[in-house]
Amino acid sequence: MNIIMKSFFNSIYFSWFVLALPSIGMLVAVINGTNIEKFIHPTGEFAARFMIIAMMLTPLLMLFPRSKVIRWLLSRRRALGVAAFCYASVHTLFYLLDMGSLQLVLDEFWLLGIWTGWFAFAIFIPLALTSNQTMVRKLKTNWKPLQRLVYPAAVLTLIHWIFVHNNIGPALVHFVPLIGLESYRIYRNINKKSVQSTQTT
Amino acid sequence: MKKHNLLFTSILIMSLSSAVNATGRMTCDSGDQDSWKTMDQLQSVIESEGWKVRKIKVDGGCYEVYGSTPEGKRVEAYFDPLTLEKLLVAQRGKILFKK
Repeated sequence: MNIIMKSFFNSIYFSWFVLALPSIGMLVAVINGTNIEKFIHPTGEFAARFMIIAMMLTPLLMLFPRSKVIRWLLSRRRALGVAAFCYASVHTLFYLLDMGSLQLVLDEFWLLGIWTGWFAFAIFIPLALTSNQTMVRKLKTNWKPLQRLVYPAAVLTLIHWIFVHNNIGPALVHFVPLIGLESYRIYRNINKKSVQSTQTT
Repeated sequence: MKKHNLLFTSILIMSLSSAVNATGRMTCDSGDQDSWKTMDQLQSVIESEGWKVRKIKVDGGCYEVYGSTPEGKRVEAYFDPLTLEKLLVAQRGKILFKK
């Protein structure tokens, strides 16, 4: 590949552009007067998708340690995570605009399909705010445990997705690959530990 | 970390199994669409009861209405297209009414 082309596709701006693509059509439609309600679901779906992809990369690399694609994607994991947060923010904003009344929002807050979404979003905020080099340096060894809050956020997202429409299929289609990979990762880690302990004894 | 994973997995399995029970997709044995009442008829009937209608579509042989109840709750509701009888009302997945 031509070197200019290569640096173009490798630039972080290109990654940002690709991650922003799904939002462009939606924003154009909203500006042209399409009802916001139509885009509550897709914005949430893309938030979940990007979060799931970001979370899948480490266990995928355990499965395919030589894969250049996965290594490249890993170098874009922060962008994926921040994009997930951006879509989640628009998702929340569209929901609030569509409801149009604080009273209505509070009335349904404690429904299982709703509070789980709010709590997932609340977790996303500190994760996104610390997704930069300055915060990595500042938080030192606390950074990783903080970012691991993405696991409870993912569980909340899954529950939110299932219960907000009582529809289990689409949520599972998205989450089953991640659940499978995480199970593999746990299995591998447990095995590694038992190998290590038998070696030391 | 192992303990946490176990906890999350068990929460996940619990919520999934309850979700399977809760899934309340409605189907109607309503036959040919020619004998159905129209969406406009449904809309005017429930609007006169105080509902706000945002969208009506056909789902599982039923009319599915997106809108608000007379109490102002944002819901999805299913109606029989032959009789316009109310079958199911769910607010963000919580079933408020089921025939």
